[in-house]
Formats: sequence, C-alpha cells, structure tokens
Amino acid sequence: MTVMKTSMRNFLAHKGRMALSAVAVLLSVAFVCGTLVFTDTMSTTFDKLFAATSSDVTVSAKGASDSGETTADNGKPPVMPASVLGEVRKAQGVKSAEGAVFSTSVTVVDADKDNLSPSSGAPTIVGSWNANEARTMKITSGAAPKGADQIMVDADTADKHDLKLGDEIGVISAIGTHTAKISGIADFTVTNPGAAIFYVDTKTAQQTLVGESDVYTNVNVTAAAGVSDAQLKNNVTAELGGGYQVKTAKETADANQKDVEGFMNVMKYAMLGFAGIAFLVGIFLIINTFSMLVAQRTREIGLMRAIGSSRKQVNRSVLAEALLLGVVGSVLGVGAGVGLAVGLMKVMGTVGMELSTDDLTVAWTTPVVGLVLGVIVTVLAAYLPARRAGKISPMAALRDAGAPADAKAGWIRAAIGTVLTGTGGFALYLASAADKAKDGSLWLGLGIVLSLIGFVVIGPLLAGAVVRVLGAVLLRMFGPVGRMAERNALRNPRRTGATGAALMIGLALVACLSVVGSSMVASATDQLDKTVGTDFIIQSDRGQLITPQAVKAAKSAPHVERVTEYKLTQADFTTPDGKTLKDTAITAADPSYATDLRTETVAGKLPDAYKPDSMSVHEKFAEDHGISLGSKIKVAFKDGSAADLTVRAITSSDVVIDAGAMYTSISTVAKYVPADKMPLDALVFASAKEGQQDAAYKSLKSALHDYPQYIVRDQTDYKDALKDQIGQLLNMIYGLLALAIIVAILGVVNTLALSVVERTREIGLMRAIGLSRRQLRRMIRMESVVIALFGALLGLGLGMGWGATAQQLLALEGLGVLDIPWPTIIGVFIGSAFVGLFAALIPAFRAGRMNVLNAIATE
Amino acid sequence: MTSAVTIPRHGGTGGRTAVAARARQVVKAYGSGETRVVALDHVDVDIARGQFTAIMGPSGSGKSTLMHCLAGLDTVTGGQIYLDETEITGLKDKKLTRLRRDRIGFIFQAFNLLPTLNAIENITLPMDIAGRKPDKEWLTRVVETVGLADRLKHRPTQLSGGQQQRVAVARALAARPEIIFGDEPTGNLDSRAGAEVLGFLRRSVDELGQTIVMVTHDPVAASYADRVLYLADGRIVDEMFKPTAEAVLDRMKDFDARGRTS
Repeated sequence: MTVMKTSMRNFLAHKGRMALSAVAVLLSVAFVCGTLVFTDTMSTTFDKLFAATSSDVTVSAKGASDSGETTADNGKPPVMPASVLGEVRKAQGVKSAEGAVFSTSVTVVDADKDNLSPSSGAPTIVGSWNANEARTMKITSGAAPKGADQIMVDADTADKHDLKLGDEIGVISAIGTHTAKISGIADFTVTNPGAAIFYVDTKTAQQTLVGESDVYTNVNVTAAAGVSDAQLKNNVTAELGGGYQVKTAKETADANQKDVEGFMNVMKYAMLGFAGIAFLVGIFLIINTFSMLVAQRTREIGLMRAIGSSRKQVNRSVLAEALLLGVVGSVLGVGAGVGLAVGLMKVMGTVGMELSTDDLTVAWTTPVVGLVLGVIVTVLAAYLPARRAGKISPMAALRDAGAPADAKAGWIRAAIGTVLTGTGGFALYLASAADKAKDGSLWLGLGIVLSLIGFVVIGPLLAGAVVRVLGAVLLRMFGPVGRMAERNALRNPRRTGATGAALMIGLALVACLSVVGSSMVASATDQLDKTVGTDFIIQSDRGQLITPQAVKAAKSAPHVERVTEYKLTQADFTTPDGKTLKDTAITAADPSYATDLRTETVAGKLPDAYKPDSMSVHEKFAEDHGISLGSKIKVAFKDGSAADLTVRAITSSDVVIDAGAMYTSISTVAKYVPADKMPLDALVFASAKEGQQDAAYKSLKSALHDYPQYIVRDQTDYKDALKDQIGQLLNMIYGLLALAIIVAILGVVNTLALSVVERTREIGLMRAIGLSRRQLRRMIRMESVVIALFGALLGLGLGMGWGATAQQLLALEGLGVLDIPWPTIIGVFIGSAFVGLFAALIPAFRAGRMNVLNAIATE
Repeated sequence: MTSAVTIPRHGGTGGRTAVAARARQVVKAYGSGETRVVALDHVDVDIARGQFTAIMGPSGSGKSTLMHCLAGLDTVTGGQIYLDETEITGLKDKKLTRLRRDRIGFIFQAFNLLPTLNAIENITLPMDIAGRKPDKEWLTRVVETVGLADRLKHRPTQLSGGQQQRVAVARALAARPEIIFGDEPTGNLDSRAGAEVLGFLRRSVDELGQTIVMVTHDPVAASYADRVLYLADGRIVDEMFKPTAEAVLDRMKDFDARGRTS
C-alpha cells in the first residue's frame, strides 16, 4: 500500500515531467484507435449502403464478378437475355422481379467534356432506374428519367460539379457516347461514400451500355411475405437452372464488402504500422523519462532502501508510476483517437469520400486494444529504469546528490552493439549480393532490423564521437557557450544516445524510402530512354480500357505517323512439355509495338512474333517449359477458340518495362476471338511524323478532348507523371512518419526539460557569475541542435545504407540506377537542426526564467 | 546602530573612491500584510576598498540577504545600493548580469564549479563568457597563489572539497573583479582546508589589493577580516576592527545573551 502511495505521490509531484511521456503514449494510442475507429466506420458505412441497396435476391449473368460488378475486357457488362425475367417470375415465393442494367465501365462528362467521375477512386455507375433503386433514393428535384434524352444524377455529384436540371451529360461507354439532359436529382437515404451514380431508363441503359435491347445485367427479386431470402434463392435457382449467379441480399452485401475490404485492410494495416513506429519511438522517450527521474531521485530511493524498502518494492514503485502514466496516456489517447477518426473523416470528405459521423463506430475492442497496448508498452519501457532504481544502494542516501553514476557506457554494450551492427551490415551485404530477389529480401529485412538495434545499442558510444565532431565543426565558433553545450550533450551519453536514436528511427525510414523512391524514378527514366521508341502514350489513370471510338479519334489525328494498339488478354496455354497453364496473360499488340518498345531477345527477332499465328515467350518461360524457336504452343483464348501459335522470338528476362510479357499480334487474336468479345485496348502508343512532335502532341490532345478519361503524355510528361506518382506516395508516407518524428521531437524536448531541472544549481551558478539569459538560452538551444543532428546523422546514414542495399537488391527487378536524393537528405539534415532549435524553445525559456538565488539554493 | 558608514568617501587605495560598495537605507521585505517579514531594515553600509570585510550574525539575521543584495543577486524593496559609483538597484537583468560578470566575483559555500569543465576552464569561465582573454601573467600568479598549478586539468569530481574551494577562489580572483563576495566559503570545509582558503583570501587582500566581503558565522573565519559587521534582525548592530577569534566569539556570546534577556 505504501508503495502505491509513494508512486501516486511521485507521479503527481512530477506530473509536469511526466507530461511529455504521457503525450507520447497519447499520440501513439490515439493513432491506433483513430485508425480502428475510422476503418470500422468506413466498414459500417459500406455495410449499411450494401445492405440497403441489395434486393432480396439478385440474379446476375455468369460472367459477372461475385459482387455483381460488371467490368469485362470488352468494356461491356456481361448480360443475360430478357427472357430470364419471365422465368424468375414463375418461381415460387416471388413477390416481384425487375430487370436492371448497369455498368461501371463508363465515363461521364458534362457539357464541357469535364470528367464527372469521383477523384477518390470510387466508382462511376450508370444504370437503369428501378424500383430497387427507388427504395434507397429520394428524388429531390425533377423527375425520374424517361426516354433516351433524360438522365438522373445523384445529389452529391450534382453538388460537387454544380449540375442543374437540364444540364447536358455525356455517357461514354464502349458502345459510344450518349448525351442526355438532367431530368432529376436523387439523394441517397443512406450515406454514399463517394460513388458517382447516374440513372437512365431501362431501354436507354440497354442501348448505351450494352448496345443491345432485351438484355439485363441483373434481375432484382423481391420475396413475397413469409418467404426467406434463402428460400427464394433456392426457388429461383430451381427455376433457372445453373446458368446464372443467384445471390441473397446478404451474399451480395458480403461480396461487395469483400471488394472494399481489401482496400480498407491495406489502409488499416499501413496506418497501424506507422502507429507501431510511433510506439517504438515513444519507448525511447519513456525510458529516458524514467531513467532521469530515477537518477534525480537517487538520494530519496537510497533513503527508502536505508530504512528498509526491498529492491522489489523500489522496483515496483517505479513500475507502478509507469502503470499510472500508461493508463492516463492511454485513456486520453483513446479519446483523442475518436477525435482523430472524425478529423480523418472530414479530410476524406474533402477528397470526395463522404462519411457521416452518424455512422461513427467505436467497437468495444478499440478502447481495449488502445489501453492494453499503451499500458503494456509504457510498463515495458519503464522496466529497465525500474531495475536500475532497484539496484541503487542505501549508501546513495548519504552521498552527495546530483551526478548520475551511469555516465560511462560500458564496453559490454559496445561489444554487443558492434556485433549486432556488424551482423546487420553483413546481412545487408548479403542482400546486395543476392542473385535472387526473394533470398535477398530476407537478408535485407534482417539487416535492417539488426543494424537498427545495433545502432540503438551503440548509440551512446556513437554519441560521444559524433557529438565531438559536430561540436568541433559547429559549436566551437560559439566559444565557451558552445563548448559547454557540447559538454552537456556528452555528459550522459546514454541519454543523448536514446534521445537521438528516437529521432534516428523516423529519419532512417525517410532516408531509406527517399533513396528507393528516387532510384525508382531514375531507373524508370533510364529504361524509358533506352527502350521506348514511341513519342506518346495514351492511357487512363484509373485503369479504364480505351474505347474503340477513342482509338479511332487518335488514329485520325493529323501529324501522327503511326498508332500502336496494345491489349491484354488471357488464355490457357498448352506447352510442348504437355502442361496446361490456365489463365496465362498474353499481350496482343500491333506489330509496330516491336519498334515502340525495344525489347531484347535471346533468340529470334521480336517483329517475327507478330506474323500470323506466331508469338513470343520470355526467357524464363521458355526454360521452364522446354520451348525453343519454332515450338508450338496451343493457346486457348478466353472467350474464343484455341490456336496453335509458333514461337518465333524469346525475349530476355533482363527487361524492366513489360517484364515477362508474351506477345502476339492483334490480327492473330482476332482470328480466334469474336469481334464483340475482343478486349479493348489497355494502352495506345502514338508516334509523330518526323519533326512534327509538337504538332502531333497538340493534335492528339484535341482529338481526345471528348474523352477526358484518357491522358496523352509525351515521354517528358510520362516521366513527370511517374515522378509525381512516386513523390505523392512518398509524401504520404512521410506524412505518416511525421507522427514518429513528432514523438521523437517530444523526446528531445523532454530530455532537455528534465536536464534543465537536473542542472538547476549549475544554471544558477553560471547566471551568478555572469552568464546572460541569452547565452544560457543559446547554450541549451545548441545542446538541443547537437542532439538532433546526432540523431539525424545516424538516421540518414543508416537509411541511406538501407536504401542503397534495397536498390542493389531490386536491381534484379529492374531498379538499375542508384540515385541518392541529396536535396532531400541535406534538407532533412538542416531541418533537424531547426527541429533541435524548436525543441529547445520551452526548456530554454524556462531555464532563462529561473531565479538565480533559488537555483543556487536548490538541493 | 543601523549604520556602518564610518569611512571617508574619498582617498585610500585603488585611485578611485575609497568605498567599493555602499548601501543606503536598504530594505528587503518578503510578503505583505501580517505575513510581512523584514529581512533588511534600513541598512546603511560602506564596504571599504582593498579591505576584507566579514558579515556576521545569527541565522535569520539577514546577513546572507545583505550580501546577495550588495552583489546584485537579489533585488531590494527599498533604498539604494552602489557598486563604486554605479547604482545597481533598479538595473535590469541584462545590465546586472554584465555587472556580475565583469565587476564581481563569487565564492559560494558549495557547488562552485561546473562539473563538465576542468579546473582551469572553471577559473577562466567568467572571462570566457564575457569573451575576454584572461591576462596570462595574472592568471599564472593567481593559480600559483592558490597552489593549483598541477591540478588544472582535473575535473571538479577529481578534486577534494578544499581544492574545489581553492579553484573557486582562483576563479573569483582571476577576473580581477572590483569586489569578491563569499557566502560562507569555508562552511563546508574542515578547519585545515578552511584555514588554507581563508589564508588565500587574506593574502589576496594584502598582496593583490583585492576587496572581499564574506558572510560567515565562524568566529575563526571572521578573525581573518579587517573589519566585522554584526547583523541582527535585519539591522547592523555592531562592528569591530582588527578582530581576533576570541574577541569575535565574546561579542557573539554577548549578543546571544542580550538576545535572550531582551
């Protein structure tokens, strides 16, 4: 009981000193809880949406995906004949049934040909207005669409793009472009997280999306009273036979949910990963706090030992304080997490993902996970300092207070750290020398972990060396104040080491990723220069296929020498070794593709692969299946018939762009696949006539003006786009790492604040003999800068090492060029100096404000 | 007697005024209303240049407060304090700090040295802070006087208590301040080490012409001074020139007895 009481009193007495540690716990826990609440809320939103929009039983065509989504390679949704509706109606227990047509392979534009699709990546849906839709939507103005010239739009999209009744809308599908005027605006009665939805009448949907009448993509069935969904499903299946997919509302909702789950899980685990890093950094802060509190309380603990406290009791009293800290930090963190989730929802709202706070979901597991995690991490982190407290001898009570005894970093630590770092370095070397990416990645992971731990362990020793060097370079010019700052930073290397290490972790990841990212850009640029022989690349940034009309427009653009079409399809291969490989990807392109992308061959000439009934395979495939030039492969095309194709070229494995692709010509595929099943182009390449690049660029852009979903890029644009894409990804990751870095900065503030308290008397003495406030503040700022730069130097060095190793390893996968982004690295280093200055603001201010006499009199 | 202004304002050593520091009607009070405690009650005092002054008095008499106020470490509630011709009462922190740095030396009872700096660095610290080059010759003389020549590279933790205090004395002397204030500089030392330090202080007055003010409650320490001021209840109650330990002790006993009977 007394233990608890002392802990409680100590905790309260030092609540100021605990505050930053609590904030570190709070931030980490908040991030975890925020992530959980946010993803759960998203889940709830989708659940409600899918549950509300699914009819009791849905019948869809065989080729439709599980969730009934309808995207086929040929750009048209899979359909069933309208007669199915009649058959369904005959089934028992059917109250009503209706045929519906919808497609997500569409682009919708306004009168100015601006894309109305959501920028968040949510789908654009065009469908027929049915009773099933009418259940979940309310027409807020105008009327439901009737006839080919009318279309209805959902209220969110109308709001976002300022659409009004009567505005002209264009629906671009594989069939062509259909224009209509807005007849009505309908609002969801549940939260729609961002899809853009347009409705036309059933007949128009059939014509514009499929190009046929009397077909449906789905039949929505409503159960009669007293008939369960499962019963109804059985009845309908019995009536239709096995040719269709029949799903209950729950099955449809689950399948839909599964579709979005993948994306949500990636997001959830990525964010939890970053929360984990923040926790890791927070551990250093907590260790430091408790170490310093224990050191400052040495005399008091010695007294407690002298009057009979056991080691265990002392130990336990420190842990009890940690427990209190963990609980306080975690409880606040859980609360902050919910706030964070709401904030995230607002942020997502601005990028087009609407979530309603009504759906805010806090599962009972969320606070439990937050609390348990926060408390366990805090108590574990405090364990080492607590043990050290237990070891304090009763004699400490008699000794002069002050100087912590553990100023020297032992050589055992040095040995362990060196071994760990050395092993890590060796693993990294193995990774860079590996000739298989898979083995190498294992070594890389091991190397990263070991070298990180190694650096953390020898951090205190490195602190001595690095701080001296930094001091010699930076601080000497500040005379005695600089010298004292340097000495202070060196005073407790373990503390400086741990504080710097916390910053090191975040910055190492930043450096590593920036090296990998910029190597990716450099390697891709290098490859593009070496192999790409075409001027323009036309593609959709959302993975949409290119409609024949758009291809035709590109072909008719003036100043264009040639246009190469590029399609992806699948086929079952039967190779000479007798094996059948299901659903193998094969690329169908125009023969000019051999010029547009110069792919090296190890046997044969690539243009020959585009001859009738010919193909190319890649080196590894040829090796695996005993294929040589002239071998015949039986290729059974999806949605088509089988062909015997002759291998006329074997491409090298040592390619980066289109690695592993097998080529054949579009005309060959066209012989075996019916025209209406032919996949649409995935990419289109265009080359300008000699010397007319600029004109061709302009003419292509204007030719494709009506198709805003496709973007024409010349090589420079393409490289820029690639750079932007990687840059954006990196920025996002940096943003998430910012959390870990903030916690590390708190760590620097914490160390300085506690050091200032610890050195109160010294500060008083210095002030008494004439150190001005300004000099005192400068001294603390410089100490802070040195600690921050120490962490930055270690982190950046480590991270660049990791990044370079990763590049060496990924060179096997085409990351051939190592590019170290010096501006970023140097920027981070200089930024760290400012971080140091910033961290010292409050401690320096407080030190400056100390009363000289009181400071000297402090025990 | 609340005044110890007995020395002519001009003449004497140093070429400047004969008074190194003076206090006029200095009042120092803590709190207000019923809880008001007066630590210094209209004190007038002159500190003679080139002399060793000891301030004595029982605990709570205000002797330390007086020293702190004279040294510009503490602010006063009323009255004026002059260092030479400079009035320090009312100076802002910045000027006070510079004044302490350039014109005053300190020796505290304990914790005089920065643990991160070695002996010589500690000694030159005030000049380093000021950005002044120490006078080499003078420094050597000071170091030799306090007998630390072979310990200059030692850190404070490697020095004994007496050695530490000698370093502190050396630091106070090295910058050639107009006046050195000592707050029971031998309070933590045994009698031998104490005698050593006091001997240095005496010699620095005799040989180097230094002005020293020392707060002490040890009659033996006070006997090294040229003049002893007695404080009680925030007032100067007596003074003694050329004191001996016995005379000081007698006077103290006297005060004690009077304190008890009154």
